[in-house]
Amino acid sequence: MATRLFDPRSLRWKVAALVALACCAVAAVIGVLVHRAADRSAERAGRELAAAQVAAAQKEFSLTGRRPAFADLRTTADLPAPLAQAVADLRTPGAHALWYDVKAPNWYWLWAAAPVGEDQVIVVRTDMSAQVRSLQLLDRSMVTAALAALLVVVPVAALVAERTNRRLSRGSRAARRIADGDLDARIGRQGRARDEITEISAAVDAMAAALQARLAAEKRFTADVAHELRTPLMGLVTAAGLLPEDDEAAVLVRTQVLALRVLVEDLLEVSRLDAGAERARVDEVPLGELVAHAAAQAGGETRLRTEAPAVVPTDPRRVERIVTNLVANAHRHGAPPVEVTVTGARITVRDHGPGFPDDLLADGPQRFRTGAAERGRGHGLGLTIAVGQAAVLGADLTLTNAPDGGALATLALPRPPGPTHPEDA
Amino acid sequence: MSAIRVPEPVGVLLVEDDAVIRRSVQLALERYGYEVDVTGDGLDGLEAFRAGAHDVLILDVMLPGLDGISLCRRIREESLTPVLMMSARGDALDVVAGLEAGADDYVVKPVDIPVLVARIRSLLRRATFHRAPAPEPAPDGRATDVSDLPTGPAASPESPTAPSSPDLLVFGGLTVDLRGLEVHLDGRPVPLTPTELRLLLAFAENPGAVLDRRRLLRDVWDYGWEGDTRVVDLCVVRLRKKIGADRIETVRGFGYKLVRG
Repeated sequence: MATRLFDPRSLRWKVAALVALACCAVAAVIGVLVHRAADRSAERAGRELAAAQVAAAQKEFSLTGRRPAFADLRTTADLPAPLAQAVADLRTPGAHALWYDVKAPNWYWLWAAAPVGEDQVIVVRTDMSAQVRSLQLLDRSMVTAALAALLVVVPVAALVAERTNRRLSRGSRAARRIADGDLDARIGRQGRARDEITEISAAVDAMAAALQARLAAEKRFTADVAHELRTPLMGLVTAAGLLPEDDEAAVLVRTQVLALRVLVEDLLEVSRLDAGAERARVDEVPLGELVAHAAAQAGGETRLRTEAPAVVPTDPRRVERIVTNLVANAHRHGAPPVEVTVTGARITVRDHGPGFPDDLLADGPQRFRTGAAERGRGHGLGLTIAVGQAAVLGADLTLTNAPDGGALATLALPRPPGPTHPEDA
Repeated sequence: MSAIRVPEPVGVLLVEDDAVIRRSVQLALERYGYEVDVTGDGLDGLEAFRAGAHDVLILDVMLPGLDGISLCRRIREESLTPVLMMSARGDALDVVAGLEAGADDYVVKPVDIPVLVARIRSLLRRATFHRAPAPEPAPDGRATDVSDLPTGPAASPESPTAPSSPDLLVFGGLTVDLRGLEVHLDGRPVPLTPTELRLLLAFAENPGAVLDRRRLLRDVWDYGWEGDTRVVDLCVVRLRKKIGADRIETVRGFGYKLVRG
């Protein structure tokens, strides 16, 4: 939140900028209209005054033959050119001509002139600078008012947008938590507002609830399937174990029962991993001992090398499962010698066969796709399980090919951050 | 692991509703020399348990009549006989519920008969250890453990043992008699299942030392890496209920220790 306070891309500042822009536009339009209206009325007042004065002067002149004090008597040649033109254009007797003399700066005169007798014009000049100045004052106070309004409106807009912002970021936090696997996370209703944010919050919550219900159903299904498969399988395994040792048919049955059992267990494991139901049970594990045990468990001849094996907090049964699967995979699809190395918290399994196929390196392990279909050995779940279990442990499992040939799998277990380790129980 | 040669056959009660498993496990265990009683119903199982003295009980979790968890709880109310739960689900809830109800161990179906036999032997070893602490040779390979005990850490000068009897360990109000294998809390006897007793002895042999869960799993349950440490955690919970919650401390991330005095 705090890091986003000054981020110009934040919605808060976008809304504030938009409000400021709207505010400025309104102020400009109103300002122009007011300015023009004031200008026009001042000019009209000036014109009326000038007309009245020139009419009065004209009357006095015609009665007394003398000009009043406020008027001038000039010859046509004495007049400024535009006024002289306007006077010459007059048709009706007794009419007057007006000329607005704009002189920079701010010294405006409104001239009114009416011809009296031959070649003589009575002229009245009205000072318009006061009006112009008051107009300028009006403009300035309107700009000041607009700026003051902006000073109030922009923070208010930012504050109002802040609320929206907060609701939105609360929504995105909840969504991220759901994505991280916390299916109980919800945005919830915030305040009484009924707007689009409420709508999208409700929609996201509904989606999370639906997702959770589906995952729960899937987990239940997996558990039920496990029960339904394991019960007859156990009967089969135990009964097959009762068959005579030296009977060829019995050996065939036992072999197939074993294969079926491994397949069922692996499938159940994959579906448990898929359902995200697995949680690591962390203990302090000496990797050297554990990997030696796991490599022996996998069968086949394996060269084990340990260099300063670490004691790490991890789930030993999952590490064993990963290593066993990797070693079994190396024996099945690779070629000897199969080498297992433990260096610190890093375990590598390497063989000297053809290496991992390209599509596996590109897309990761795919279920039931074995490296050697023609050999028909293995069901292709081993690496999928290894990758899934590594994810449960928060470990990195990378599958590559060694530069001098052969598949190379590296399991890097997370090291503890400090001397104390989190408790899982 | 060597076979147990017991003077009289070991009696096993198997309560399992699936007829094939029931019969095939019975036949397989009989080949190992066990005497196996079977029932397919939880209530019948309770009756069969009360009728005959069995050395080990194997209970399925899902049973008609009375489910395995409840059956285990009922049995625990009147007996300390070792109980092995057999679950087809293997998910956390089943296992935890079974162990909370007082089961000593659990296996997930399908279980190989040799594995099942190994589990039964481990339970019996704890039980025989419980019953026959006398110096005469115990019937199984664990005999050395029994004779070792009195000269174990109990003899060290640091131990809280009362000087008059090297076989009596005293931890405040808790006394553990290594020879008679009896535990008293404030003068009253504490009934412990063989597993709980083995666990307490593992602690009592190392008072104040932190024992990690893997080690306890290996020493008490005979598990290698394949064991589930929840078995230890839940047995510690049960033991705490019997001898007082503050006697066994949890050491975060490592294991447990018995508080010295």
